[in-house]
Amino acid sequence: MKKKRIKSALAFIFTALALLIVFFWSVNTGSLKVSGTQLFRGLFIKYDEMVAAVYNLRFPRIIISMLVGAALAVSGVLFQAVLKNPLTDPGIIGISGGAGFTAVLVTAFFPGLFYFIPLAAFAGGIAAFLLVYSLSWKGGLSPLRIILVGVAVSTMFAGLSNLFNSMNGENLSGVAAIVNGNITMKTWEDVNIVLYYIPGCLVISLAFAGRCNLLALDDKTARSIGVNVSRVRILISLAAVLLASISTAAAGIISFVGLIVPHIARIFVGGDHKLLLPYSMILGALIFLLADTVGRTIAQPYEVSAAVIMAVVGGPFFILLLRRSSRYGS
Amino acid sequence: MEVKNLTFAYDKKSRDKNKELEKKILDGISFTIKRGKITTFLGANGCGKSTLFYLMTKDLIPDKGGIFLDGKNIYTMKQKDFAKRVAIVQQNNQAAADITVGKLVSYGRTPHLSLFGAPGKEDKDIIDWAMEVTNVAKYRDRELMSLSGGQRQRVWIAMALAQKTDILFLDEPTTYLDIRYQIEILEMVKKLNQEYGITIIMVLHDMNHAIYYSDELIGLKDGKILVRGNPGDIITSECIERIYGIRLEVAEWKDRRIVMTVR
Repeated sequence: MKKKRIKSALAFIFTALALLIVFFWSVNTGSLKVSGTQLFRGLFIKYDEMVAAVYNLRFPRIIISMLVGAALAVSGVLFQAVLKNPLTDPGIIGISGGAGFTAVLVTAFFPGLFYFIPLAAFAGGIAAFLLVYSLSWKGGLSPLRIILVGVAVSTMFAGLSNLFNSMNGENLSGVAAIVNGNITMKTWEDVNIVLYYIPGCLVISLAFAGRCNLLALDDKTARSIGVNVSRVRILISLAAVLLASISTAAAGIISFVGLIVPHIARIFVGGDHKLLLPYSMILGALIFLLADTVGRTIAQPYEVSAAVIMAVVGGPFFILLLRRSSRYGS
Repeated sequence: MEVKNLTFAYDKKSRDKNKELEKKILDGISFTIKRGKITTFLGANGCGKSTLFYLMTKDLIPDKGGIFLDGKNIYTMKQKDFAKRVAIVQQNNQAAADITVGKLVSYGRTPHLSLFGAPGKEDKDIIDWAMEVTNVAKYRDRELMSLSGGQRQRVWIAMALAQKTDILFLDEPTTYLDIRYQIEILEMVKKLNQEYGITIIMVLHDMNHAIYYSDELIGLKDGKILVRGNPGDIITSECIERIYGIRLEVAEWKDRRIVMTVR
């Protein structure tokens, strides 16, 4: 017991430290470089031209990366709890695809409704979720079935998004950014939109930690201790869809963050959602910021988007998980 | 607990099209569960005893009739309020891979806590009590998965006891266990009934266990109650034959009836 607690505490500390280190690395990646003290002075004490440039160019992207990483990771944890399926992730089961599609529609046809894009994405996410849920329901939800249907729905929405992207001659940068998961040109305005939704949603999801734990029981058993299982499922699903949708609206369609992060997190802090959820936030922020920063550095002067890095790393990881656990296939 | 005119059928779609296709699993059952007693359902496979159990535990909703707890219809009760009055040990149970025994038993307090409420002193005392009674206190910090089947079953019973209800349902609590643990569980159930006055309602497959540990037997067949009463009065060769469709000898031993389960 004690050993476990120390292990969890260490995991929190080291991951937070790593996040801080990657943060500074990311701040200093590119042509402009600032030291830690210079950054601190420039931000809080005295105006500094270099720091201001970094602040306006890189901070939005870094903050969005961290929030989106945290949101996708938590969304993954919540979906895994609700569907009792360790192989789900908002990307794999089509939520991001649906959210991305409606975000593309609004960006393409009603660019004036910039601030409503997250809400449109949410509507798309919900539609995708209902579609996948109802199509894979056959007297119960089989883990494999939901993934198969999810892949189909996800591919369809991705195709539709691509269709609009191509029909516009790939000229609308907003549409292309969502389709390609590109976060290069983010401004503080984009950050504000994300800030409206994600932090609040993350706090709400923490409040569900106890209920997520109870969902690990058999449904009948959970009901017998007074849990309204269907209602809890719907509420947690809504939170998970909202987190994934806002992330998609802000950073485009990104797969595997919601899959990889919870799995690594379980190794370090165990399955108790009271630890798993907050830890997944930090780890999600770390991994996605790392992916974005690596993408910025490995092919300079070109940039590889974080979504591509996640797909390249996440694909093999997903296969590894499938191979390791034979019971998922049943 | 009062069961009134309970009727239930699966496959409701076919019923609309063709009345004759309707297969009633339970057909207008009525009875009263005696407070402070152990009542056991007996019956052949497919007789409706599991359906009756699920209806009584609010896992299924009847087509007709109702079940009343102190005059209140259980189907209009909130899940949480029902869980404050009735605890259930289900036949199949699963839990998170790394959950500890103490943590799992503490889940039994869920209906008594608000959504974000932490368990207080009284809750902790009840959790301790539940683990003492079921003899699992020594495993408190162990992971559930590291325990044997019999030990695990005691943990699930402890979780149900932590709800601190006066009614406890058990769905075939001895399935998957070898004989030593079967007897251990049944003796514990008897103790819970005698020492704490908990009303027990069980489904059991073993007739002799049912006879030995129950105050009241309810024998079902084809969705109807066939026999009901004190095991010593109702269990006869004829009765067994009517319930199960097989003739077995019933012997007397130490003033009890024993069904010879071989012939």
